[in-house]
Amino acid sequence: MTIVFHKGLTTKKWFSMNIFEQMANIGSEVFRMLKWRKKDAKNSNLAFERALELIDLSLCDPKNKIHSKEIARTREVLVDYTFSNEYKSTDKFFENYFYSFNYAARLGR
Amino acid sequence: MKIIIDKIKTSELQEMTKNMFGNIVKAVVDIDKEIMAVDAPMHADLEAQLINHDSDQENLWGINLYPEQFGSADFIEYDSMINLRPNQNNRSRGVEDLKIREKIIKIVQKLVEK
Repeated sequence: MTIVFHKGLTTKKWFSMNIFEQMANIGSEVFRMLKWRKKDAKNSNLAFERALELIDLSLCDPKNKIHSKEIARTREVLVDYTFSNEYKSTDKFFENYFYSFNYAARLGR
Repeated sequence: MKIIIDKIKTSELQEMTKNMFGNIVKAVVDIDKEIMAVDAPMHADLEAQLINHDSDQENLWGINLYPEQFGSADFIEYDSMINLRPNQNNRSRGVEDLKIREKIIKIVQKLVEK
């Protein structure tokens, strides 16, 4: 997969992270997207595109095959949130979802 | 969920519509391997299944099939959340690249029969 938005990131570097670390990093971009949504559409969209790129990297990671359904569903629900929100998501939903990975990523450190 | 490698009849697609959305069947096409996954509540589920079947995500495109419209231009609808891929320069739920749309049509025509 070609990395476009994360200059300096390589697939090797991304794949070296476990799923908790990957999702926590994705969460950071999602939080930025949500934060900027009401204030600056351009910044929000840039964060959104970066989040999608990281999600796609996680989908490509061979060790994540067991998680592929959840990762792919997360992506679809996130994209839906920026369109018609048929799945009735909220900012709070994404915050709660991704914060749990933050905690998991820090456990044992 | 089912991965179509050889052929599927429109009657089978029609049967799938009864269990899910009434008139459509969600599908994800692999334009490299020329196969298609069908029949799931979300395109993401079909995408994940194909990735686990060794497809590369960048070759996967989500469509909706309308079995009753088989044979017409309305049989295939290019609309899926999984298609939004800014890093591949596709910034909508559709399939913006005409060449990719043509590949999808050829593959669907090859796999689906009356």
